[in-house]
Amino acid sequence: MTVREKLLNPTGSGKDTGSGSLAPWPASLRGLTVGLLGTTKPNAEVLLAEIAAELKDRYDIGELRPYTKDYFGTPVKADLLDQIAADCDLVITAVGDCGSCSAATVADGILFERAGVPAVSVVSDSFLLPARAMARIQGFPGFEFIAVRHPVASLGATELRERVQDVLPDVLRIIGAAA
Amino acid sequence: MSIAIDGPLADAAEIRAAMEFYAGQGWTDGLPVVPVTESSLSEFLAATSRDPEEVLFAVPHLNRECTVRLAAINAAMAGCRPEYFPVVVAAWEAIAREPYPKRGIWQSTTGTAPLLIVNGPVRGQIGLNSQGNVFGSGFRANATIGRAIRLACISVFGLHPHQPDQAAQGTLAKYSACIAENEEESPWAPLHVEYGLDPADSAVTALVIRSCVHMESRHTRAPEQLALGLANTIRRTGALIHETSSALVVLGPEHAQAFAEAGWGKGDVRQAIDDRAVNSRAELAAVGKEAISRHTRWRVPASHPDAIGDRASQGDTPDRVPALISPTAILIAVAGARNADVSTVIETFGVRGDAPSSIARVEGAGG
Repeated sequence: MTVREKLLNPTGSGKDTGSGSLAPWPASLRGLTVGLLGTTKPNAEVLLAEIAAELKDRYDIGELRPYTKDYFGTPVKADLLDQIAADCDLVITAVGDCGSCSAATVADGILFERAGVPAVSVVSDSFLLPARAMARIQGFPGFEFIAVRHPVASLGATELRERVQDVLPDVLRIIGAAA
Repeated sequence: MSIAIDGPLADAAEIRAAMEFYAGQGWTDGLPVVPVTESSLSEFLAATSRDPEEVLFAVPHLNRECTVRLAAINAAMAGCRPEYFPVVVAAWEAIAREPYPKRGIWQSTTGTAPLLIVNGPVRGQIGLNSQGNVFGSGFRANATIGRAIRLACISVFGLHPHQPDQAAQGTLAKYSACIAENEEESPWAPLHVEYGLDPADSAVTALVIRSCVHMESRHTRAPEQLALGLANTIRRTGALIHETSSALVVLGPEHAQAFAEAGWGKGDVRQAIDDRAVNSRAELAAVGKEAISRHTRWRVPASHPDAIGDRASQGDTPDRVPALISPTAILIAVAGARNADVSTVIETFGVRGDAPSSIARVEGAGG
């Protein structure tokens, strides 16, 4: 009467997500159009402007183009992704300082890389685990991103500048520029 | 001394071994789960007309989807009986219609949980509790239907705590949160009828909830005083995260009756709460929430680099800041025992301002 059967796996499995390799990096930053994609989170635009100002100071980059996602918790929509990929040579996106937006910011970086645009994703360091989990979910477990010291949302302008100085060497390394 | 009973015999070591295996895989909420095989699963799949491969809810950014089959496996593991499964299916359909779950809210630090409200004849058919201890333990259908959703969140969508689920504290409702409306002791039309279904239909409404706060008022039956108590509970400054809030008010039958005896319908209760759920600008400034952030419209101090004025600051009475965008930001249900004047305010996530679309009919459970 006793019938032994195999137990069933209750987990979901995903579709194949695509490659885990980076877009080709430009040989020089000179004249590049840099997209600054804000997540809508408080201080995102201030942080991006600080990073952009540092790049402008150091390198002869071209135009800076600001963009804003419509919602921080999910990855960038296809039409905005396509527009940024068409208009920009490099994109920086910030800031993922919450559970959903840290993961979405990393997903965005991977999506830009797959669309052929080198990308720097900036999250806060309280969210390294979900950010890395999203890189695995997206099929790019080694994707490198920037982690600024948490918090970001509650900071004033001076503290934000300090945060940017802390991570600037990593940003420059990821975009292939000498510090 | 232990006492053997004349019940079923069991191989406790084998049962424990299965439970340890599930726990080791990370496929649980921390409590033991019921082992599931193809033959036990088949009873669940037989309880619905749905194709086992039909997708009930998908989260594209997590690259995961919950099929009928996965919903059934997790329902069985949660301890559901097969006849509960149509309610679980309707719950997933309701969740899929709620705006926040597909937008990453279950990864959020805010730490929300899904709450299910069941209406209609299925409540009696499967023994869902709508009366005393409605938010408490002790009722298998309530406990396991709510848990079926949680287990699938963990296993199907990979929402493990400390990983993609970044709840800063979470809520006790994350184990299980399923109540039935006490239609029999409500003076008003049940929730599902209010939103266009037939009283003989059974339905599940899904909400994204955060904290639950009791509203005590045992010594007055004046409707204005009851409404003020509810409004003060909703507008409390510690709870405010967005520009405005939204709430499910679960009235105990006695509070509902007190409103009804004064001639108030649900719309009157909503209006009265909305009129009174107002903070002064000074009260908000005292807790650093007098402005909002530019894009997310979360409450911040006016000194914040991203601060802009809120909607109220643009109007004729800028010092009077409503905590709700309109009376329809409040949902009203009736549940609990008719033995004390106790109600509960549950913060729901998302600016409502319209009827919830997150309601789904339960298959085969009509009158």
